Amino acid sequence: MTSAETAEAAEAAESAGTVAAPGPRALAWQRRRASAARFWREYRRHRAGVVGLAALVLFALVALTAPLTVGSDVASVTDAPGQPLQSPSGHFPLGTDQFGRNLLGLVVWGSRVSLLVGLLAAVLSVAIGAVIGITAGHFRGWYATVLMRVTDWFLVMPTLVLAIALATVLSRSLGTVVLAIGVTTWPTTARLVRAQTLAVESRPYIERARALGGGHWHIMSRHVLPNVMPLILAQTTLIISSAILAEATLAFLGLGDPTVVSWGGLLQDAREAGAVSSGDWWYLVPPGIAIAVVALAFTLCGRAVESVLNPRLGVSR
Amino acid sequence: MNTQDQHGRGRRGRTGRRPGRTRLLAAAGAGALLLASGLAAPAASAAQQSGAAGDGHGDKVLTVAVAQSVDSLSPFLAVRLLSTSVSRLMYEYLTNYDPKDAHAVPGLATKWESSPDKLTWTYTIRSNSKWSDGQQATAEDAAWTFNKMMTDPGAATANGSFVTNFAKVTAPSPTQLVIRLKKPQATMTALDVPIVPKHIWEKVQDFSKFNNDKSFPIVGNGPFVLTDYKPDSYVKLKANKDFWRGAPKFDELVFRYYKDQDAAVAALRKGEVSFVAGSPSLTPAQAASLKGEKDIHVNEGPGRRFYALATNPGAQAKDGTKFGDGDPSLLDERVRHALFMAVDRKTIVDKVFQGHAVEGQGYIPPRFSSYYWQPSAGQELAYDPAKAGQLLDQAGYKKNADGKRVGKDGKPLDYRVLCHATDPNDKAVGKYLQEWWGELGIGVTLDCLDNVTDPWLAGKYDLAFDGWSVNPDPDFVLSIHTCAARPQTPKDTGATDNFICDKTYDQLYAQQLAEYDPAKRADLVKRMESRLYDLGYMNVMAYPNAVEAYRTDQIESITTMPSAAGNIYGQDGYWSWWSAVPADSDGSSGGGTSTGVVIGIVAGVVVLGGLAVLFAVRRRATAEDRE
Repeated sequence: MTSAETAEAAEAAESAGTVAAPGPRALAWQRRRASAARFWREYRRHRAGVVGLAALVLFALVALTAPLTVGSDVASVTDAPGQPLQSPSGHFPLGTDQFGRNLLGLVVWGSRVSLLVGLLAAVLSVAIGAVIGITAGHFRGWYATVLMRVTDWFLVMPTLVLAIALATVLSRSLGTVVLAIGVTTWPTTARLVRAQTLAVESRPYIERARALGGGHWHIMSRHVLPNVMPLILAQTTLIISSAILAEATLAFLGLGDPTVVSWGGLLQDAREAGAVSSGDWWYLVPPGIAIAVVALAFTLCGRAVESVLNPRLGVSR
Repeated sequence: MNTQDQHGRGRRGRTGRRPGRTRLLAAAGAGALLLASGLAAPAASAAQQSGAAGDGHGDKVLTVAVAQSVDSLSPFLAVRLLSTSVSRLMYEYLTNYDPKDAHAVPGLATKWESSPDKLTWTYTIRSNSKWSDGQQATAEDAAWTFNKMMTDPGAATANGSFVTNFAKVTAPSPTQLVIRLKKPQATMTALDVPIVPKHIWEKVQDFSKFNNDKSFPIVGNGPFVLTDYKPDSYVKLKANKDFWRGAPKFDELVFRYYKDQDAAVAALRKGEVSFVAGSPSLTPAQAASLKGEKDIHVNEGPGRRFYALATNPGAQAKDGTKFGDGDPSLLDERVRHALFMAVDRKTIVDKVFQGHAVEGQGYIPPRFSSYYWQPSAGQELAYDPAKAGQLLDQAGYKKNADGKRVGKDGKPLDYRVLCHATDPNDKAVGKYLQEWWGELGIGVTLDCLDNVTDPWLAGKYDLAFDGWSVNPDPDFVLSIHTCAARPQTPKDTGATDNFICDKTYDQLYAQQLAEYDPAKRADLVKRMESRLYDLGYMNVMAYPNAVEAYRTDQIESITTMPSAAGNIYGQDGYWSWWSAVPADSDGSSGGGTSTGVVIGIVAGVVVLGGLAVLFAVRRRATAEDRE
């Protein structure tokens, strides 16, 4: 029964007012709710995962409310409230940067860019990886061979070098950084997804679906994708942390947009201002710790999700 | 051209571009830890040599941390500041500049005079200067050097502009050099051309490829003899004990290349180097933290450089072909003046340079007092955003509903500003420009590139951060704004800075070049600066100070230039390194070094111990899974 027919049947059942037993659609929702609840029960047992999630919620709140709490004025150099490189005080809890801007505000404001770039780059990377992995696993033959050789090539290339090369060639903007990270980090996802696709496609129900006339698109989107989805989700969470690190690295190396405030960019500013050798620790430590904490939080979540979805991994809690 | 270095145009090496996440982590966490404990990186490498403390033979070594690598050791090819400084130390020039007020003083030539028709210059060459292989340095060497540059384009790469006006150079006797000119030339006592030994250099086949770095020591007659060189690492020179002006006090001079300025400052703190030059100077934060340090002296002097914003005047080649894509609105002088007036130069000096600079006005820095020019009250384009807005209104660029300035064709004013990705000042000033010009309704995009040369030469920019070091004789920095300096065709490379071509300016330039009277020449130069200011193509924002530091327990005294409050690295002459006096005390940083090592070892043990515990715990935790 295709989904369209299911929906029709459900509507028909509802409109007829004969809801003795729940319709197929309601059943599906019930099942999903139940599995979500089961997932959450399992997830809660991973203490590190819960801590990571809490940290992420906190950072997400800080980033989303930044326009209300600090506002974009915090990045303005002409209206900077303090003197250059003031050490932390009551007025500036984390001191000021070389322009006299409030560093606490900058770190809060910078979280927006760092998180946004991290998320977008991870989504781009996983999307590329998933498409390549599923199609390569599904079509096999010369198509898969070619794609996998390309994947291998990207896999052996040092990611950071490739990203630096891309970011240097293209103009300096957020989009460039997202692209540079996204197109260099997908190969592991592609490999993982392809392996899972091969496993799924060897199951008998795929053969039945094919025998019933299911086309390539139907099999890939209706049967393979839902089955590799958990893997993709876990992979996304894990890649976000490395994407945030990569973004910070690129910005730190001076390859980001210099007019945008981000954590890596703050570190780069601090280095260029000579804060490292003059011991102005308050310029370096907060963005550094923020990067480390967010990356750690995403990794903890990713690991927890992974072990819930695949208990055989035996990841310690 | 010689000691001039265009700000960033292929001048400085890329800083801190080592890929790797370790760097980031170091900065994020470990770096902070190290810093907080005041034990920066060198703790681990403290066992390395220490600057002037000597290397066991009792030799006094002066180690200089430089932020630039050598482009070539051949004086015919070298253009970077470090390389030309090294040339100064290796070879004598005809004349030198006095460290007090930069007037011409004897170098290889003891005296000089021009004929009444101003076209023949006769130099008397000193007879007490010997090459380091024992041969006498004569007028024949000088004549050969100039003739080589006049006849071989490969030898004219770096200093060719000095000899384009030469008709004939001869050496009638070993102590007499005669130069015949085509036209009068006022720069004849400021010929920054190293004189090389003929008997060595006549064996060179291809001057455009020979880098003079194959056989050491390199034969020269300057205060130092180059004995060793490793690309991107160091240049070693030994004192020339027979130098005619007297032997240098230090026995050895080493220029050590540091990619990262923070590393250089840390090396100074530990006594591994005696002097840090900075690129182009120490940052305000570094200077402030070094000022409180024991045995370290922070030297601040008026800089030789100007720091400007250059406007693309519509790039054009000498053959008349227009090229590039500079914004046409910049051809309107009112627009240029409005941009000028919307830049608060005082804030740039106060905030970006934090007082380590002088507010920019004329083209030539105040250090060169005889050529320093300031705009009169009526002429000055002072910071006045309201007036800038009026000027833009008059020019036809009115604000639209969104607050953006749009031209008559409806196109908004958006400028691309070319900036050097390696220069933090460019980015910092760029942020201010974005806000000041944004208020005015003009959009600004910062194009920060590692290599600005390509778009620059192609004229593909609207405005650009620009800067040149100025010599005691201003001829060169003035020449780069003449029509003749433009490239022949769009494909060629000209000596021009940013394609400025103005008839009035060119006339004044020709006049000053032919004027031998210093006062009259200075007056002409000032009129040129005034003209350049009025045109509004070059907005000189600041004259950055030279901020450098050295260890007083290794260097007792050193000559600055000008001698009252001047700079040390990159002087016009060899005064600083030649005059530096070593301090008596030895190994004063020993105590700090050993504590550093002890703490480093303890920290290492703690980290290793932690890792071992972690590993053991993990092994136990997974013991059941393993077979």
